[in-house]
This record gives sequence, C-alpha cells and structure tokens, in this order.
Amino acid sequence: MTVQTSHTARRGAAIAFLSPAMAVIVLFVAVPIALTFWISLHDWSMYTPLSQMTWRGLGNYADLLHSDDFLNALENTLVYVVIVLVTTVPLALALGMLLYFPKMAGKGVARAALFSTYVIPTVAIAIVWGALYAPDYGPLSQALGAVGIDSPAWLSDPQTALLSLGVFHVWQMTGYYTILVIAGLTQIPDDVYEAARIDGAGFWRQTFSVTLPLLRRTTTFIVLIAAINAIQVFDPVYILTQGGPAESTTVLSYAIQRAAFQNGMAGQASAMAFSLLLVLVAVAGVVLAAMRRRTAAEGRS
Amino acid sequence: MRTVGAISLGAVLALALAGCGGSGDSGAAGGPQTISFLTHWGPEQVTALKAAAAAFHTKNPDVTVDIRPVPFANLLSTLRTQGSSPNGPTIAGIYDLWLPELVRDGLAASAPSGAAADVKAGWPGNMVDDVTKQGQVRGYPNEVDLYALNYNKKLFAEAGIPAPPKTWDELVADAAKLTKRDGDKVTQQGLGVITSWASGAVHPWLSLVNSNGGQLLDGSTPKLDDPKVVAAAQLYADLVKSGATQPSMSSANANTTGPYLDNFVNGKTGMIIMANWWQSSLKQAMGDRYSDIGVAPVPVGPDGTASAGVSYSWLTMVNGKASPAKQDAAWKFLQFLNGPDSGKGGSSAMGDILMSMGILPSRTSDLTAHKADLSDPFIAAYVAELPNAKPFPTVLGGEAMSQAVQKHIENIVFGKETAQQAMTAAQNEVAAILAKAGA
Repeated sequence: MTVQTSHTARRGAAIAFLSPAMAVIVLFVAVPIALTFWISLHDWSMYTPLSQMTWRGLGNYADLLHSDDFLNALENTLVYVVIVLVTTVPLALALGMLLYFPKMAGKGVARAALFSTYVIPTVAIAIVWGALYAPDYGPLSQALGAVGIDSPAWLSDPQTALLSLGVFHVWQMTGYYTILVIAGLTQIPDDVYEAARIDGAGFWRQTFSVTLPLLRRTTTFIVLIAAINAIQVFDPVYILTQGGPAESTTVLSYAIQRAAFQNGMAGQASAMAFSLLLVLVAVAGVVLAAMRRRTAAEGRS
Repeated sequence: MRTVGAISLGAVLALALAGCGGSGDSGAAGGPQTISFLTHWGPEQVTALKAAAAAFHTKNPDVTVDIRPVPFANLLSTLRTQGSSPNGPTIAGIYDLWLPELVRDGLAASAPSGAAADVKAGWPGNMVDDVTKQGQVRGYPNEVDLYALNYNKKLFAEAGIPAPPKTWDELVADAAKLTKRDGDKVTQQGLGVITSWASGAVHPWLSLVNSNGGQLLDGSTPKLDDPKVVAAAQLYADLVKSGATQPSMSSANANTTGPYLDNFVNGKTGMIIMANWWQSSLKQAMGDRYSDIGVAPVPVGPDGTASAGVSYSWLTMVNGKASPAKQDAAWKFLQFLNGPDSGKGGSSAMGDILMSMGILPSRTSDLTAHKADLSDPFIAAYVAELPNAKPFPTVLGGEAMSQAVQKHIENIVFGKETAQQAMTAAQNEVAAILAKAGA
C-alpha cells in the first residue's frame, strides 16, 4: 500500500467516523440556528407553513432597536446576569473551599444537600418560592416582621421583583457551581500548598496566591456557564411573575416566548432569539479571550 | 441557545408536520372519519366531553371523536405548532380574542349553512356577532364571562357600609372606609386590583372605563387618550395614592392565582372587580366564609350612564386546514354537542359541562334549562348584568394590545407614570400595534 493510498484511507475513515456526530450537530444545532435567522427575516404567525411567510428583510431587527420593550428586556436580563454573577461566583468559591479543605464529618452530606437544589425541577421549586415570597402573610415576610423589620413585597414590587428572582436563582444554582469548584480544587497538588507553607504563607496568602490563581480555569468556566444560565432564565419568570409587575421581570427569554406563542410574531421573536444568540457568543468570546490573554501573559513571564 | 433552539425546533416541527405529515384521514369523503377536539378543560369536564363524543359515535358510527386535553397555558402554543398540520386538531376550544388571527390565517373555517343557521337561531345576537368574522360564522359560542364588583359583606358591615357602591364617588368613599392601617402599614385595602396578568389587569379597569362612557377601541382606533378613559386611570392613581389600593397585594402568578386572590379570600381586600369564573376558586378557598361574598354591578363613573362590565367568550371552531370530510364531521359533532338533545333536561351537553365548572353557558335554551342553577345569588348577579356587558374588542393584534395596556395600568399602580402619561403612551403603542397587525 502506498503512502498516498494510506492517507486517502485514513481521511475516508475519519469522515466515516465523524459524520454521524457532525450530522447530529448540523441537524440539531446548525439547521435550527439557520432557520431561526431565516424566520427572523419574515413575518410569521406560526399558523401557516414556512413557505407562506411574509418577507421583512431586516425590518424585525430595526424594530427591535426602536422597541422600548426589547431594550427593557435586555436591560433586565443584564441586571439579572450581574446579580447572579456577583453573588453566585464568590459564594460558590467560598462554599467550595469550606467543603474541601477542613477535615470534618458530614462534608459529603453537605455537598449532596447543596447539589440537590440543582436536581429538583425548577417548576416544583418555583411554586414553593412563590409561597415563600408571598407579601405580608408569607413565611419570609412573617419572619422579618417577627424581628421588627418591614418586609419588602418581594415579587409584588417592581423595585424588588428582579432581585427576588435573582436570590431564587442563586439558591438553586450555587450548589452546582460549588461542586465544580470542589472538582477544581482536587486538581491542585498538595505539594504546592506544602511549598507555600514552608515559605511562610498563611491561610489568606495561600488562598489569594495559590488557590484562586490555580482555580482560574474552573472559575472562568463557572462565570461563563453562570452568565449563560442567567441570560437564558425563563421558568421562574413564567411561573412566578409573568414578566411583571410593570414589566420589571420581563427578561429576553420571556419576551421571546410571549412574542412568538402569545402574540403570533414569530419573526420578531426569532430576531430577538438570534440577537440573544449573538449576545451569548459575544459574552463567551470576551470571557474566553480574557482567559487566553492571561494564560499567554503567564506563559511569557 | 436553548431559546434559539426552542423557537427553531418549534418551527422545524411545524415545517415537518406541514410538509411531511400524512393526511391522517381514516377514509375518503363519506367514509369513516376520526376527528380530534383540543381543549384546555380539566379531567372532570374531559370525561363529560368524552361521554358526549361516545354518544355521538353511537348515533354516527362513522365518526370517532378523539379528545386532546392540554393545560390552558399550552392551548395557544399547541394551536400554533400543530394547527396547520394535516394531523392537527380538527376542533379547538378558543378564546375569542384569538379568532381574528385564526381567521386571517385560514385556521378558523366558516360554518356551513346548517351550522350557521343553528348558531343564529340559538344564541343572543351579541354572541353571534362575537363569532362572526369576515361575514361568516366561525364557530359555536359556549362559555361567556363578564366582570362585576365582588365585595366582602362582613367587612362592609364592620365598616358600617350598608350597600355596595353604585358610583365612583361611593366607590372611593367606601374604599377609604374599608382601608385599615397598623401605623403606616395598610393591613386591609378597600379596592383590590390585579397585576402581572394581562386580562386580570385590563378587564377590571376597562369595566370602569366602559361604566364611565369610555371605550378601548372605536372600530380599530384606540381611544385611550379620551378623557373618559383617562379618568379611570386617574381613579386608580388616586386610590393608590390614598392607600385604599395596595400595589403589593395585587400580583397574580401563571395559574391566575396569587396574592390578589389570597388577600380577597382572607378578608384583607374589601372589594375587587372580577369575572364569574372565579366562583369555584372562592368557594374552594373560603369554605363557609364564601357566604360573605356579594356581587354588584361595576360602579358608574361621572360621565357614564350605566354599569357596563367587560365580557368575553370562548367558542369551538373547526380547523380550516382539515380535510373537507373531517370538517363536515366536526361541524356535525358540534351541532350535536351544542344541541338541546345532547344534555339533560333540555340543556346541551356543552351547557351541562360549562355549568359543572360554574361557568355561564351562552345558548338561550341552556340558560333556560339551567335556570335553577343560575338562581345562585353569585351567578344570578352576573346573569343580570349580561345584557349590559360590553364585549372586549377582538381585533388582530389583540393580545399584544392587551399587554401594552396592562403595562401602563401597572405603571400607574406602581407610580411609574401619571394617569395622563400612561394613557398617552398606551394610545401611541396600541395604535402602532394595531397598525402593524393590520387590524
């Protein structure tokens, strides 16, 4: 067998082995995304076949730029992402270290309990949180009232509704991110800490000079996933607030659902969905680029 | 990307069903037919509907009716994703606000002459008008709901108020008397409003607008900047400012329950404008205290002449994308289901099903057949208001219009806009929405 024949055979084998996976990716990722973009260039109620859509060009995108509702949804989504990130990531790091370093009994139970909030379906938990957040007569309000604190109206006040949903999200997701942090901590060799201790580093010095720098890849991944999860939040908004009160919890995912399935504006909804995709790609790009730049800088030093 | 995927997969599904689906006909015209009925009703009503379908099958062995229940929240999305498929639902129970879009896109078939004559002969004129689009009857009216003032008689007695308010001035005065405070905190509100739910926010407010001589639309032209409409917005602003309406007690959730309902059933809200369908919720939540609830006409505003609560209805339509043979079978079944021979004591089976939910049927003979049930004081007060009710306008873009109005009503309730600002903005937004929808 010649070298040329061997290369051709290998290429054929590679294509044969990769094609099932590629076909799945094309069918379930590339085609839907391309179709979403195609629909976003039309007006479509979803009651008619795709072949009967009305061409709008970039009109749906132009409408979004001038839509206060879209900009409000975008702003709410960004605020929600910030609330989630600034709370979840430090909390997950702190809990992860707390559940990894100290030698104590019950760590496994604590990890399982934290992770369980992630496993329970959001719909079921959201119903419970709806009752917890009931203004005046709900358990949270009663508890605050018992210690003489005026309770906020939680989901019933535009000033606190988005924050309340954020607290729910943090409660639900922190356990999952904590498990990721613990998995990252297991990758840090013990001899690094031993060397630090020999050099006289205390707990805080070890945390900021050893643990956090060596956890950077894990942290980057958590930031990325947490941001994406927050941008895509839908279930609690749909179940608990329906975007209200006064549009204060209308985030992009909910606005997309409402436009497509309630208002029959699938073209506009697709334009929003495609814009959201671009936002997600941009966020991921920025986070990954920052990580690569940092890695490259460290490599040079 | 999950969202992009969801939208896309829905579209792919629609495409696949539209492009690749078989006809699903169980036979050629004249042969055996299997038709499907999409409904949002609960298990008890679905069982009754299945019994009616079985009775119809006994008389018409060539037609089998398959009942497809879905949750209310999924009804419209199911229609959107399956409606145009050849295997989609043949019959669907729909909210009348959805009808114009379904007619425009060819999903709501026009009734054949026999069924159209049946509807015209058996229902009041305003109900026939409601299901008539582009000059054609598009379905059988069934459920009708309207809004009235619900009040807590026990709280009224405690406040020394002898009768429910008849005018806005009395409404404001009574709301003030019913409001209780613990220091600065309001512990009992006079008039409750509803937020975070489009119909819950808009319909009660529009009932006040109608009762002040105003209207939401004149044809397809919004009238939100009319002083008679702005006055209803100002009424809300004044009630909130005085503390007689508490925004924090107003929210609803996806189940159309939540704090607004909890506060009323727990005696923390003196009055609220709501529709008759929530009677079963009140009974369930209040138990013996249900007898505290009274119903009265919506108070009349200074520019109004009579109470005019908002009404809306549901109808059963036939899918215009189904084969002609299936459409014929579907109309035949609807004629039976809504006819006076399918139920008990001269009622239609549909009338019996609706009454089992505490919902007003709309067929004239059903109202007669259920006269005893309709004498219940709660229901009777609504029945008395039925002739004065104003149907919520059903136009293309109606859902988006409702949401725009809801947003600005909630902005007033939460102090984000003045009444005038809110109505000016709503006027512009609704005009743009209706123009874009082609209303």
